[in-house]
Amino acid sequence: MLQVSDVETAYGKIKALKGVSLSAAKGRITCLLGPNGAGKTTLMYTIAGILRPLRGSIRLDGQEIAGLTSAAIVSRGLALVPENRLVFPQMSVKENLEAGAYRRKDAAGIAEDIARMYARFPRLQERREQLAGTLSGGEQQMLAVARALMSRPRILLMDEPSLGLAPMIVEEVFSIIKSLNRDGVTIFLVEQNAHMALGVAHHFYLMEQGRVTFSGEPGKLAEDEVIQRAYLGTRRASA
Amino acid sequence: MIDIIQNTVDGVMIGSSYALLALGFTLIFGTMRRLNLAYGPTIMAGAYLGTYAFLALDIGVLPVALLVVAGAAVAGLYVERLCFRPFGEGAAIASMISSFAVWMQIEEAASLALPHHLNAFPRLVSGQPITVGPFFFRLDHLAMLAVAAAAAALVHVVLHRTRFGLGVRTLIDHRRAAELVGVPVTHTLTLAFLLACAIGGLAGFLIAASEAQITPMFGMWATTKGLIAMMIGGLGSVPGAIMGGLALGVIEAQAQWLFGPQVRDLIAWGVLFAVLALWPGGLLGGRQVAEQQAVQRRV
Amino acid sequence: MDDYLVSVLSNIGIISFVALSAYVLLLAGEVSFGQQAFFALGAYAAGIATAMLRWPLALALCLGVLVGALAAAAVGRATLRLSGLYFAMATLAFAEMMRIGFELFTWQVDVGGSLVGPNGPDGFGDIRYLFENEITPAQYMLVVYGLLAVVLAALLVLDRSRWGRVLRQAGADPVLAELQGIRVVRVRLVAAAAAGALAGLGGGLYAHLLTYVEPRNFDIMLGVHSLAYGLIGGLGTAFGPVLGVLIDIGLLESSRLFQGYRMIAFGGLVAVLLIARPRGLLDERAVHWISSRAKGLFDALAARRLDHPFRRR
Repeated sequence: MLQVSDVETAYGKIKALKGVSLSAAKGRITCLLGPNGAGKTTLMYTIAGILRPLRGSIRLDGQEIAGLTSAAIVSRGLALVPENRLVFPQMSVKENLEAGAYRRKDAAGIAEDIARMYARFPRLQERREQLAGTLSGGEQQMLAVARALMSRPRILLMDEPSLGLAPMIVEEVFSIIKSLNRDGVTIFLVEQNAHMALGVAHHFYLMEQGRVTFSGEPGKLAEDEVIQRAYLGTRRASA
Repeated sequence: MIDIIQNTVDGVMIGSSYALLALGFTLIFGTMRRLNLAYGPTIMAGAYLGTYAFLALDIGVLPVALLVVAGAAVAGLYVERLCFRPFGEGAAIASMISSFAVWMQIEEAASLALPHHLNAFPRLVSGQPITVGPFFFRLDHLAMLAVAAAAAALVHVVLHRTRFGLGVRTLIDHRRAAELVGVPVTHTLTLAFLLACAIGGLAGFLIAASEAQITPMFGMWATTKGLIAMMIGGLGSVPGAIMGGLALGVIEAQAQWLFGPQVRDLIAWGVLFAVLALWPGGLLGGRQVAEQQAVQRRV
Repeated sequence: MDDYLVSVLSNIGIISFVALSAYVLLLAGEVSFGQQAFFALGAYAAGIATAMLRWPLALALCLGVLVGALAAAAVGRATLRLSGLYFAMATLAFAEMMRIGFELFTWQVDVGGSLVGPNGPDGFGDIRYLFENEITPAQYMLVVYGLLAVVLAALLVLDRSRWGRVLRQAGADPVLAELQGIRVVRVRLVAAAAAGALAGLGGGLYAHLLTYVEPRNFDIMLGVHSLAYGLIGGLGTAFGPVLGVLIDIGLLESSRLFQGYRMIAFGGLVAVLLIARPRGLLDERAVHWISSRAKGLFDALAARRLDHPFRRR
């Protein structure tokens, strides 16, 4: 469904992505692991159209999306739940959800979907008039997911959804990921929490220093080795 | 006591035009995190176009109003293309200084178009003030208040009932998140900028029509009044801009009555200084201080 | 040199002080719209010292420096925890309060049969120290440029010192600087006081050059211009703001090249320049390029003099 080939992205002269290729299959959970600074967030922003790749191709259902604006990419059915959630802090929960449906024009469908989000995330319904900036970290994460779903994406990108959350909330977030996937949403997930991520992923990639260094199914590589590399990187792990 | 009430009423009426000036300013600052110093001069460009047509063609007051708003929007487009769009998200100071450079251009162009310092401007309404008990209300000030309130209500509807308005509100709140939900950023910023200049043009028309004259000093005057009102209310906040404008109007009216025009300006600046030193976010602000610092770091 | 050229050059030198004053604060990461306030304070203080109190010029200029620095430090204490537009507006508010304050300020004494001193909106005339002491305009120009040279040298030395690095760090990324143990607000306070001193010195020189100052000389136009000079000339070196003044006053105002259209030409030029170079002509890259070129040239010369054919160039 999503195919990234040989993508390079740079900040000024520093290349953060040095030719990344990977793919996420329809209906599955694909996970990207890697240490801090490996370029995972850069890759997510590049796919979502916030950053422009220097070269390479990004295809969504066979259609090239590299170089399109983020607005066009959202319209084509790709939504990103960003690192640190980035909800609209001064807008209410309800307004955040409405903003998530910015590209859609079907008012009735939008209202229906908001009701559906409230049913899936009852906490959001309780707090629908509250400003998003005043929600707890876990609630903000749910709001960020719900906001992304409001665009009716065919594929959902999630960047570190467990970041800064208490262990119990992390469990909840991952059970949401699983249940979304059961409902047919394709998910491409970036995580630091390798243990949790490997528990839900159908396929995973390992990224180090701007390159994909391993690809496989959970279980093939011993889990603790993956975890070690994901946290520490190959060099320090082997040193 | 009667005088104080009368001053407050006068202040609210004059302040309604400051509120519009601040509203335009805050739309630009809120969405772009950029200070447009050429905002007042942009409005002046519209006002000069209106007065030029008025003097040359002897047209009525409503066509003049339309010309002022349209002229301000066109001048705004020039400012946006030259001073804001080329800079993207970086170089906030450079784009501010660039808007200052365009201010100089517009001011000189205005004096070249109409070399007299003072130029006549048509009145919106004329007639005897309405008296109610011991109080009286100038007709043009009442008209100013009515038009400003209607314009503010219209802006509220646009912001809360349209997709463009939703886009503007998301950009005011969090630019990156707005991009992520698919708001077309450049397009929305340009439209918001033009809307702001049109609102400013309307404010400029109301002020010039109540003074019945316009001078090349109007640009600087409008920039400083709009800035003070916006900063008193809180940067980038729409209700704050309106509150700030009304507060500035009332403060000025009271100070003018008590101490005269020089001390009036002294007090207006003094209030701004005190608000900034004591409540850095303005009366209805607060959150933006941290954000401002983030912007500062990008410069 | 003819009188016109001398007066233009003196003016360029003096305005450079305010431009440098705004530049020092910019390096510390603060945008000030209000350096004209300290320029005005320096002008009035030094003028009062020579014309009313009959002090010598040097002492009067010192007073201008002191008043500028103290006022800037006091304003800085109240406002430096603000940043960005908040600080800029606070400085502008202060400067406008000072300007209106000078319009309300009247204090005249009898000097040799006539009243001398600040007289509200009519300004402060008869600052005739240069005339009374038979200092020619050319001599005074040398004084101005001598002082400017000292200031520039000090700023260039500062830029290479640890202090200069601390200043630029505090300006470029205050949060990171704070993490590295730099006390950003204190650094900025010192920078603000130094900037106030520079503006005060310029103001003292200005009052004696013109012999007459009035409050409206010190309005927001002067403040924003001083800020603009740094961005036009470049933020990479202390020569930048001086170059900015030279381009505006020297090239455009004084050459009468675009008479009648000067502001339209100047405004367009600045706007286009800033798109191409958002940190001015002499930005950090240009300065680095020039200094590495100069170093290369120097090394080459040194190699030749030492007659050392294998020395790396």
